[in-house]
Amino acid sequence: MKFHEMTARETAEGIKKGVFSASEAVKASLDRMKRMEPALNAVVTSLEENALERAMETDSKRARGDDLGPLGGVPVIVKDNMCTRNIRTTCGSRMLAQWKPPYSATVVELLEASGAILVGKSNMDEFAMGSSTEHSAFGPTSNPWDTDRVPGGSSGGSAAAVAAGYVPLALGSDTGGSIRQPAAFCGVHGLKPTYGLVSRRGLVAFASSLDQIGPLARSVDDLALAMDVIAAPDSRDSTCFRDPRPLYSGAFPDVAGKRVGLVREFGGDGIDAEIDGAVSEAAASLEKRGAEVVEISLPNAGVAGLPCYYILAPAEASSNLARYDGVRYGLKKDAPDLISQFLATRKAGFGPEVKRRILTGTFVLSSGYYDAYYLLAQNVRRVLRMEFEKAFEKADVLLMPAAPSPAFRKGELVDDPIRMYMTDLFTLPVNLAELPGMAMNTGYAKNGLPLGVQLVAPRFGEKVLFGFASALEEASGRPSVAGGGELS
Amino acid sequence: MSRGLQTVIGLEIHVQLDTRSKIFCGCSTDYIGAVPNSNVCPVCLGLPGSLPSPNEKVIRYAVAMALALGCSISETTIFHRKNYFYPDLPKAYQISQYDRPLAVNGSIEIETGDGPRTIGITRLHLEEDAGKLVHAASDGRLAGADHSMVDYNRAGVPLAEIVSEPDMKTPAEAREYVVRIRQIARYLGISDGDMESGSLRVDANISLTGPDGSLGSKVEIKNMNSLRALEHALEFEIRRQREVLSNGGTVEQETRHWDDASCVALSSRSKEEAHDYRYFPEPDIPELHISRHMIEDIGSSLPELPFNRKKRFQSDFGVTEDDANVLTERREIAEWFEGLVNAGSDPKRASNWIRGDLLRYLRESGVDLRDAPFSVAAIAELLGMVDSGTLSNTAARDVFTAMAETGLSVEKAMAGAGISAGGVSGKDLAALVDRILADNSDVLEEIRSGGDAKGKKLKFLQGLVMRETRGQADPAEAAGILRERAGVR
Repeated sequence: MKFHEMTARETAEGIKKGVFSASEAVKASLDRMKRMEPALNAVVTSLEENALERAMETDSKRARGDDLGPLGGVPVIVKDNMCTRNIRTTCGSRMLAQWKPPYSATVVELLEASGAILVGKSNMDEFAMGSSTEHSAFGPTSNPWDTDRVPGGSSGGSAAAVAAGYVPLALGSDTGGSIRQPAAFCGVHGLKPTYGLVSRRGLVAFASSLDQIGPLARSVDDLALAMDVIAAPDSRDSTCFRDPRPLYSGAFPDVAGKRVGLVREFGGDGIDAEIDGAVSEAAASLEKRGAEVVEISLPNAGVAGLPCYYILAPAEASSNLARYDGVRYGLKKDAPDLISQFLATRKAGFGPEVKRRILTGTFVLSSGYYDAYYLLAQNVRRVLRMEFEKAFEKADVLLMPAAPSPAFRKGELVDDPIRMYMTDLFTLPVNLAELPGMAMNTGYAKNGLPLGVQLVAPRFGEKVLFGFASALEEASGRPSVAGGGELS
Repeated sequence: MSRGLQTVIGLEIHVQLDTRSKIFCGCSTDYIGAVPNSNVCPVCLGLPGSLPSPNEKVIRYAVAMALALGCSISETTIFHRKNYFYPDLPKAYQISQYDRPLAVNGSIEIETGDGPRTIGITRLHLEEDAGKLVHAASDGRLAGADHSMVDYNRAGVPLAEIVSEPDMKTPAEAREYVVRIRQIARYLGISDGDMESGSLRVDANISLTGPDGSLGSKVEIKNMNSLRALEHALEFEIRRQREVLSNGGTVEQETRHWDDASCVALSSRSKEEAHDYRYFPEPDIPELHISRHMIEDIGSSLPELPFNRKKRFQSDFGVTEDDANVLTERREIAEWFEGLVNAGSDPKRASNWIRGDLLRYLRESGVDLRDAPFSVAAIAELLGMVDSGTLSNTAARDVFTAMAETGLSVEKAMAGAGISAGGVSGKDLAALVDRILADNSDVLEEIRSGGDAKGKKLKFLQGLVMRETRGQADPAEAAGILRERAGVR
């Protein structure tokens, strides 16, 4: 088997058993990256030197008989909004283009402790704001299935890198669908865990109450393996749950006798027919495995989710991004006085989508508008949470599309923010309700583009989610690697 | 117009809580004199990706203060973000509290010219301190500085903000209120309350109300770095507002900065940029639940508060109100006083000794009483010797000086100072008295001719004797010999 087709588990086991070395695996990863990057631009910073060094350390550890960890020698990529000590962390922004954090994110520490080897930092929409990875100061990323199309976003770089086989496993962050929508567009699996399951420490904040880190991979088992590594209590993130996590990998719970809910409002009109078909097919194949299919209604989620999200997320973002003032770090534009320095720095450092959201967020928090927008949206968020809770009285998981259409063309929506926002229609409510959601590849459209569906479980229902996902994966097979040979 | 105007003052006091680490990270709070930007980390620098973790000690200190102020503690409380741009604010928002503060509805009693009065406490909430700007002009001011530097050592130091009701009517009352708040904070050991160094900061809101009860515009005054500055600034502002009103003008609602050097409160001229802080709940910190158990635990370990202790000293030990005020001013002093009395000292003597020798020693040496080299028991022994006439006050003072310098026991300190109780007596003392009388024959003559009706001259001579013997004579014996020689009874 070729390295780029292997899963993380296969790679780790091959190294552990001595079938191949960590250095070979990492070299293969870097080679593939080098070959395909000109076409894809999925990676902002390649860490060739560090990675090869770490790989040699792993190999000598193995020679000494030391434990390599569950991801020993596995090349991985993390989205460039996760802090890496002394390695630039750009958030896809001119503002942080040269910023090297003095500390690593908790997830990066956990990955390194598990033996994983960081080979690169992936491209993203600036500060994770976008659904196409076109809003990056480092240029757009291409979809490895069709380089004229977007990979989705904002974790488009991570999704493209996994789809193209640079690495078997990458981390993304998901505030309104930023793991799941690109996973669906690129034909890989992506999990947004329950809010608070994975530490956000070191994740550069977009919207703190919605942001969550999660894995992207080409197998359900790899997602579970990754969760075993990154889902851990962290006293340095007050919103991170303190209880120990269960073991996610291993035997997944059976779907037989469980209920899968099809969301009435998330089907039919306005959804690409092939995606609608993929959802029905998934339901049928779960039914075949003994699950009961029930119809569920989420009357408000589809209608109110989007406006609610586009009030709360920009509100928090306007505050989170206020620190980029040129005083301490990052881009600084000199000006004769303080206010001019702030203005010049922020004008030059942020792209148009980030500015749009800062303005929106500042507006909805302003005195006189707070009650009508921010407070109302908070109340709507509570309503949506209760609506999901009610739905989970009737179903163990919900099945719905991950996005209304397969990957769209580059440039198609970049000047139409509202339609761009609409591509996250089915993912946003899941963040608002703090639920775990997984996008998974179940097949391909007639034109060859990947088709994705989404599974959603109650809070902390990741294990149930993995059970349903692995049943679907058995039916449809693991995702293929994109562009092998075709891209140069 | 200015007749019948009533002054209304409300105060906001920021008390720096004296925890070892900052409110949201593990960095040291010890910023005074530290190398700039040495006590900082990603959290208090607000680096991208950093998150706050509330310090439990800070919560406990604030609960203690709130309980001492008679506040009700909120069972759940949340932090808010207060958003504004300034270089000393690393995240461009301050984590503070807004509509669900830690505690509300308290009060304290203060002494005023018209007797005791109750001042309401609206709320007590927690927040983080900001860094400090250092302007690079020779006089340290912004004007003329060509650049500024920021020191973030102070960023994230915990603050409790205590907001009073507008219950004070004079600058003196405002001062008294601050003194009481500071005293309570010191009693609880949660802050040193030092205004000069900024660990206690006071902002004042002041307005004048018309005889018809109409409320005037509120002016906020900042930058008062001492009690004296507070009083002066308030007096200045009352005069200014009266003048404006008596000239038929209206008082503008604004913020003024007190300038201690020129004794004026200058308008900040920032009306047009009325701040909209865009408060919203801090999403990085979940709701804080303060358990009944925690509140009871803190409440039961509160020390006796100064006001109660003062009343008890007056009633139990018969000390005057003035003495009681001084004795309860600081907790450690009050505890010393009580220790001396419990060890058998006469309350009045113990009080006099504390107000005289002890406070002078502490002031001059700068020693913290808790680190003093002498014990309560030793001082009680010393005062006992004065009570019994074994030692004069003068000798006791010398012995105390020796004890304070060397940390010796009373006995050893006496030996070290060459003092033995009653060491000069009988013939030796009589000879010494005669020598002193010979040197002061003019005084002796005046006494003998009846010119010392009040006995002051005799006392003067007795003082010389005691000084000459370095307090080693029994004062009664010395007086007896003197009276005999002078022929008075």
